[in-house]
Amino acid sequence: MGIILEVKNLTKKFGGLTAVNDFSFEIKRGEFLGLIGPNGAGKTTIFNLISGFEKPSSGSIRFDGVDITGLKPFKIVNLGIARTFQLVRSFKFLSLLDNVSVSCLSARGKAISKKIGTEEYASSILIEVGLVDKATIPPVVLPHGDLRKLQIGKAIGSNPELLLLDEPFSGLSFEEQLGITNLIKRLHEDGVTIFITGHVLRELMTLVPRVIAMHQGKFIADGSPQEVANNKIVLEAYLGRGEGFA
Amino acid sequence: MSELNMVKTKKKHKTIRLIKSWLRTFNGGLSLFCLIILFCIPLLTQSLYYLGIFIVAAIFAIFAASWNFLTGFTGQVSFGHAIFLGIGGYATAIFVRFQDWHWAPALLIGGIAALLIAILVGIPSLRIKGPYLALATMALSVFIMQLFINEKLAFILFGEPGIDRVPPISTDPVEKYLVYTIIMVISIIVMTLIGESKVGTIFKSIREDETGAEASGINVTKYKIWAFMISGFFAGIAGGLFAMHFRNTTPMMFQPLYSFYAIIMTAIGGIAIISGSALGAYIFFILEAFLIDLWDPVFIFSIILIIILRFATRGLLRPALERLKESYDFIIGR
Repeated sequence: MGIILEVKNLTKKFGGLTAVNDFSFEIKRGEFLGLIGPNGAGKTTIFNLISGFEKPSSGSIRFDGVDITGLKPFKIVNLGIARTFQLVRSFKFLSLLDNVSVSCLSARGKAISKKIGTEEYASSILIEVGLVDKATIPPVVLPHGDLRKLQIGKAIGSNPELLLLDEPFSGLSFEEQLGITNLIKRLHEDGVTIFITGHVLRELMTLVPRVIAMHQGKFIADGSPQEVANNKIVLEAYLGRGEGFA
Repeated sequence: MSELNMVKTKKKHKTIRLIKSWLRTFNGGLSLFCLIILFCIPLLTQSLYYLGIFIVAAIFAIFAASWNFLTGFTGQVSFGHAIFLGIGGYATAIFVRFQDWHWAPALLIGGIAALLIAILVGIPSLRIKGPYLALATMALSVFIMQLFINEKLAFILFGEPGIDRVPPISTDPVEKYLVYTIIMVISIIVMTLIGESKVGTIFKSIREDETGAEASGINVTKYKIWAFMISGFFAGIAGGLFAMHFRNTTPMMFQPLYSFYAIIMTAIGGIAIISGSALGAYIFFILEAFLIDLWDPVFIFSIILIIILRFATRGLLRPALERLKESYDFIIGR
């Protein structure tokens, strides 16, 4: 199995604000886990630190034994970590095929593109995420649900071993969530390690076998969804001090 | 050995087939039509004055296309593109005037010199974006112009008079016209092919969403520098052609007006479509030739620019092409 991601004493300060405070955890290869916490807990910052979009104030991140702390984002992608964003991003006026092609042209994606052709590779990804019938259409006219699928498609173009999904269900209808859930499950079955942050707790807690909880930048719990949901500190973080559920 | 030859001929046939099938498309046929007209111009007139209009248009077609490549295509806003025009002009002029080189290698030197300067300009631009980059590049072009005007630096930079008596490419107007037009066509084709290639997709993705491109595993820094290099190279070629047509290079080659010419011509033709810049350049100079006795051309073009920005932000080429294609489809009964 082996440890694919090792985060040690990760801290990120923005001026006087400590967004991530001495955070440590490990992820095993092939795992499927979630990161939960109330709004502002620091979940996206953790993702930004792992994917290289922010540099930690202190602490280290090791991926597959390699120290990736402070590396540039594109280098981290080409080592095997891909991510999606909480606020959907896309190449607004390029076709969906072009959107996915970009990551297929990354150093890591090229290993596959060279063998089967960039267009073939990008098309196969569009088929995988269920958007191939809109391949020539630009994201600017597409609904939110399709954009969430597109983001995942763009992420898998670089053939990642670890996929960080930042709130992939937010803003989606129940059917759209189901579609994304099935897609993520398929990716996991194909061997991709998946790390999801969530706000739509019900969906997330039934999906993943392990959950890490954080609050105000600090680690507070790590275990099965049942364990974490019944953890006193977690309940206090979400519901405030008091008697909990009556 | 013969197997390698077989593969080579297969590739050549494939390329020929691709070109033939492209020529059958609307865009391909139209481009061929325009090319034929361009090369027939010398049959209508051999005067240096009239051919000169088209020669200057060819020069600025390359220059505007190079700007379009950097700004329209890759999103790196340059308001000081005349820097590369001037550097190319001076570099070429030095070699044809003082080293007695043939114009072709001298042009290449002009392109390479501008390419090198473009790398220098590109590096700080990695951290500056949008309007700030526009201002910074504009300020830089004015600064460089002052450097070349400066008397104290005249011993290496030639000062206000610049370099004169630059030998032309040819003394025969028709030969000159053909050389300039062919170089223009090749430049436009090369820039367009780069744009339509996979590398072009990467450039466009950087324009659309730099962070997204980075998150897709693209070394955005590397590709930005490449965009500056390619753009600078062709702007330098335009500069060399400029120097050999006007038979001199002066610090005025760096003036902001020329930078704005590239922008105006691209806006007229259509941003982010390389051939749009060429169309814009030709419209600009042909129109100027008509207007020059009536009004101040710069005044007219400022008005045209405002009208275009208000009513035709995509430029004229794309909507015109779309209308034409609709009519064409209608006529052939699709």
